[in-house]
Amino acid sequence: MKQHTTRMTLTIDNKTVTADTGASILDVARQNGIDIPTLCWHEQLSPHGGCRMCIVEVEGLSHFPTACTTPAADGMIVRTHTAQIREMRAEILQLFLSEHTASCLVCDEQEECREYMSTVRKAGVTTGCRYCPKDGQCELQAVTESLGVRDIIYPIYYRGIPVETEDPFYDRDYNLCILCGRCVRMCQEVRLADVLAYKHRGRDAIIGPAFARTHLEAGCEFCGACVSVCPTGTLREKARAWEGAPDREEITTCTFCGVGCQVRLLVKEDRIIGSLPADDPTVNQGQLCVKGRFCNTELVNGHQRIRHPYRRENDIAWDVSWDAAFELIAEKLRSSAPERTGMLVSSNLTNEDLYVAQKFMRVVMKTHHIDSTARLFYGSGFSAYLTLMDRAVPLSAIRDASAVLMVGLDTRFSRSVVGVAIRTAMKRGIRMFTLHSREHTFSLNADVWLQPEVGEEYRYVEALVRLAAGEDVTDRSIPADMRVRLADVARALSESDSPVILVGAEFLQYDSSRAFLAAVAQLADHVGAGVLTLPAQNNLYGSLLSGSFPELLPGMRPTADAARLQKLESLWGTSLTGLTDAWNADHLLRDDCAMQFLYAVGALPPVHRGAAKFTVFQNMYPPEPYCSADLVLPTAAATETDGSFLNGERRVQRVRRAVAPPGIALPDWDILCRLARHMGAEGFAFTRPEEIREEMAQVIPGFGEAEIDARGILPLAFDAVMHVSGNGTAQRPPDSDHPFILHSSVVEHTHRGFPLAAWVEGSRILFPEGVLDISAEDARALGLRDGDSVHVSGASFEEIYPVRIVRQQPRGALHASILESALTHPNPQPVSVRKADV
Amino acid sequence: MSEYQPVILPDIPDLDRIDVYEQHGGYQHIRKSLGMAPDDVIGIVKESGLRGRGGAAFPTGLKWSFMPTDGEKPNYLCVNGDESEPGSFKDRQIFEFNPHLMIEGILIAGYALRIKAAYIYIRGEYEKWVQMVEKAVADAYAKGYVGEKMKETFGTDFSCEIYVHRGAGAYICGEESSLMNSIEGIRPYPRVKPPFPAQVGLWGCPTTINNVETIANVPLIIERGADWYKNIGAEKHPGPILYGISGHVNKPGVYELPTGMLLTELIHDVAGGVPGDKKIKMVIPGGSSMPPLRGDQLEGVRMDAESLKEIGSAIGTAGIMVMDEDTDLTRILTRITHFYKVESCGQCTPCREGTGWMLKVFHRLLDGEGEPKDLDLLHSVAKNIEGNTVCALGDAAAWPVKFTIERFRDELEAELSR
Ligand SMILES: Cc1cc2nc3c(=O)[nH]c(=O)nc-3n(C[C@H](O)[C@H](O)[C@H](O)COP(=O)(O)O)c2cc1C
Ligand code: SF4
Ligand code: SF4
Ligand code: SF4
Ligand code: SF4
Ligand code: FES
Repeated sequence: MKQHTTRMTLTIDNKTVTADTGASILDVARQNGIDIPTLCWHEQLSPHGGCRMCIVEVEGLSHFPTACTTPAADGMIVRTHTAQIREMRAEILQLFLSEHTASCLVCDEQEECREYMSTVRKAGVTTGCRYCPKDGQCELQAVTESLGVRDIIYPIYYRGIPVETEDPFYDRDYNLCILCGRCVRMCQEVRLADVLAYKHRGRDAIIGPAFARTHLEAGCEFCGACVSVCPTGTLREKARAWEGAPDREEITTCTFCGVGCQVRLLVKEDRIIGSLPADDPTVNQGQLCVKGRFCNTELVNGHQRIRHPYRRENDIAWDVSWDAAFELIAEKLRSSAPERTGMLVSSNLTNEDLYVAQKFMRVVMKTHHIDSTARLFYGSGFSAYLTLMDRAVPLSAIRDASAVLMVGLDTRFSRSVVGVAIRTAMKRGIRMFTLHSREHTFSLNADVWLQPEVGEEYRYVEALVRLAAGEDVTDRSIPADMRVRLADVARALSESDSPVILVGAEFLQYDSSRAFLAAVAQLADHVGAGVLTLPAQNNLYGSLLSGSFPELLPGMRPTADAARLQKLESLWGTSLTGLTDAWNADHLLRDDCAMQFLYAVGALPPVHRGAAKFTVFQNMYPPEPYCSADLVLPTAAATETDGSFLNGERRVQRVRRAVAPPGIALPDWDILCRLARHMGAEGFAFTRPEEIREEMAQVIPGFGEAEIDARGILPLAFDAVMHVSGNGTAQRPPDSDHPFILHSSVVEHTHRGFPLAAWVEGSRILFPEGVLDISAEDARALGLRDGDSVHVSGASFEEIYPVRIVRQQPRGALHASILESALTHPNPQPVSVRKADV
Repeated sequence: MSEYQPVILPDIPDLDRIDVYEQHGGYQHIRKSLGMAPDDVIGIVKESGLRGRGGAAFPTGLKWSFMPTDGEKPNYLCVNGDESEPGSFKDRQIFEFNPHLMIEGILIAGYALRIKAAYIYIRGEYEKWVQMVEKAVADAYAKGYVGEKMKETFGTDFSCEIYVHRGAGAYICGEESSLMNSIEGIRPYPRVKPPFPAQVGLWGCPTTINNVETIANVPLIIERGADWYKNIGAEKHPGPILYGISGHVNKPGVYELPTGMLLTELIHDVAGGVPGDKKIKMVIPGGSSMPPLRGDQLEGVRMDAESLKEIGSAIGTAGIMVMDEDTDLTRILTRITHFYKVESCGQCTPCREGTGWMLKVFHRLLDGEGEPKDLDLLHSVAKNIEGNTVCALGDAAAWPVKFTIERFRDELEAELSR
């Protein structure tokens, strides 16, 4: 709807200007190139009027209104830079500076210092004082300079507030804080997270979570939105402090989950120094989660990144050239039977990488043996999960929905931009329901929290299906109060015009996941809901579409699709008949897996040494010690190659190369093309991802350059059948020997097979891998403290875990976050726990 | 002035009891009002010349006329009984001795303003008075004068709820927009104006905020008419007013008298003069936020908004603080500044930082380390705060300092050299 606006005419600094009604004096001034200094104002936030930097003179007013908060009015006469105003601003600024460790701002030596500062790296700190990591990008510095303040009439006063460094990813030095409140408004108004608040009053006022909690305790999502808007060095990113201003920026797509946020990479001297949300109205609306915001920089800059190909034999490793590496692979491949050759890829790779990978296997190796590790993540529910794809709605559907049901989704550290969208919608008054066995971000502020016992989630969804169909809930194992809540939710969903069901990754590894996902699909059909799955693997849908599975050809067609095979044969100029398709990644978990050749591209193969005769490991980081890897090849990170991803909405989005890969590392597609050429294969002459896409476009709709730029949604529906390792073992209740229920879930915070916790320090605290969560009560009863080791045993497995005491964990239930390869069934299962002897 | 008969705090025993209040015509004025059109009630209040008793002496009828009548959103009334200004202690007399007058005033104002609910905001430290008001409100509900039942009682369509809300110990909560935030349960930072409360107030709905005493005047105006009212006291600021007189006087207390009384008469006759017949050094006429006057400036000064403005001060809450010739002004200013420094909410720079610096300088003066140029520094900080903050607490902190330095520079310098 077009708002009816009227224009007004006013005078600013003797200039006659016009503007739409509703604009503030500041808006109008800026629209007309008149600069008014500001500190607390920020374009994303409501005006605050606190710093008073933007005061102006308005004819007829006795006081000096703040331009940022005062609406402009027709006929107003405004003066922004009179001598009196400049002086008042300078005086206010001095009040700030009197408490700021600000010598750098007003030091007499400033001019000379600046000259020598350029040598600061060589000459150490003696030639220049840097008190603040924001030096050079600080808005207080800029305002000080623009107002020409060189002297402070007040004595300098240092508040001596201890710097807070205990939380991951960013530190806080409130000695530098000017209480502009931008961080608070960001956290409260935009993120709607309500972690930050003002504490105390007057001069003792300080920012932080209420009740002296750490950010971690206060539910902070570590989205970094507050850090981004801080005009001073108070809030500082651990990894980016002291880096200074970037040389350039590059917009790309985040690689950490299926939301596919648009990210602004900050580049300095051909190095990524940070990543910020791009101002993207389509997907992330200028927001990111902790992974997109903070994990990327550390991940791509790790000093352990592989730089050269190297050979590994008998625990000895030595560098080899690319040519030598290719020759070695070619030799091994020539002697490897197609049925005993396989390639494991990760669904984190770009569409172009994946397309080339499957083409390599099918054209060069004459086998359909290419599989994504995603299969292991989804286990028995894989097909059921994928069939939800055709019910996908765009993220904007949350904005328009009148009811949202979240199942197994905790948006604190993953997909938190979706959490923001939901909270925004809730503010508008939508009904919000969450189904989750554990306390999580939305358990308190949802309209209804459906809280099943661990492993019983599917029963709740089934009950919703029945209720939505107008039947009664007969399942007496659901407590009465929950049945009332279920009825409420079913009614609201049925009555809602366009409900949305959001499926998280929480229960996907349970043996009940197939039943659970099937029930979700039924429920969606009954109530006419859109379903958003937003997979943990950022390019899961891309890996399906590119054909990186034994069951799927490019275009997501089943391998048996004769027409598609024919089309590919003519496109690739090779015969595709009789290719083997008997192998998939599940086989790698079996004891009898005897591969001759395994090629792991961006994936961490879950095999112990010797499971394959020869393993090529192509990744950003060296393999884990337990991993078989005879040849290790260095690949480019997603920030080091061009390409595209397909997000959970089925939207194709660009990945852009921002920097060069380390050492002689190459992008995955490039390595595979070179290898194919080395082996004399035709059809791998690609030198740029565009060329790959040109070929893809012939079999996959939506891959033309213009279409990719448009970032449209591909109308995909999944109609193939994936082979799943069927177990669905019946769950047993706890007994006296096994009084706890252990539920395991696969860490979704991984990249190219590695848990982020392996290479990103802060994520070790937020989402550790291989730990066992236990409730405080149970820990107390067992005499356990945080970090103690426990011995967990079930009917058919034993494991030692460090424990983490988690308030949210229900009593009697244990939760382990593990890697795909460590998953045991049944899941959940009854176990016993004792403190491990040291 | 001995012939003046108090009407807000009349000399009737047990008037705080609802039956006694009823015996004296109580809850008939709302009945009378309900017989008029809401706009006519506003008209009478406008006509009476009633001005706010909460500090700014804003014409009440005019304020009421800003409220929308379209009913798109519910309207609210907040009754400001936060009374935390040093030197101000009059509202609690109403809470204690004539709470039903206030409640009836709320109902009349509520009808005129078409509200759904009214909140009586009482400062947290007034525990005893909170309980008294809560009891009075409960009694009024029980008698069917408030809430849904009033429709039946008075045979009208109008009804409104009254809630008592207690503060939690912050002076800033008396500032009207802060008060609304406090009721909403969020941090009581004063809001930026515009928008004004009559447009966007409590929970984003149109709201009027009035002082307790202002509201208590309303039933009297309805009962006796605008003409009666505007003939009491000063012409441009008429009516009965509660003077709270404190400091160096023999009989400190709250006195109900017409506006426009001579300040000297109030100090010397009404409050019994200065102990030991000492000379007066300084008088703050309207609570600690108002510009102080010199003792030799008082002759002929009248206690109404216009007269005080003329001489460079303001009526504020009519809390008159008297300081005799032995008073150490540096200590007084230190104490006052300490109050504002502690009570500043911290939202805007000049007030937050400025009050802190002023206090630091005052401590330096008290420690005997001050110099005359410190007075200039203080004056300049105060001037920087004045008129340059989100709410009027900034002015309140600046004025005592600024005007004392301007008006008592000789005294202060003398104190410095001691
Ligand atoms: C810091 C500050 C404190 C205030 N405290 C009070 C108070 O305690 N009681 C009061 O009635 N008004 C107080 N006010 C004035 C109110 O903001 C408002 O003007 C008043 O309640 C309006 O009522 P009136 O129009 O009936 O006077 C205060 C103002 C400021 C700036
Ligand atoms: S990181 Fe995000 S959630 Fe945490 S305090 Fe900052 S804005 Fe709030
Ligand atoms: S931490 Fe930064 S953004 Fe927050 S109030 Fe302080 S200076 Fe402003
Ligand atoms: S929500 Fe997903 S895509 Fe967005 S920043 Fe986080 S990990 Fe990246
Ligand atoms: S003037 Fe003082 S009390 Fe008022 S809003 Fe500003 S800082 Fe807060
Ligand atoms: S920018 Fe306007 S008051 Fe801070």
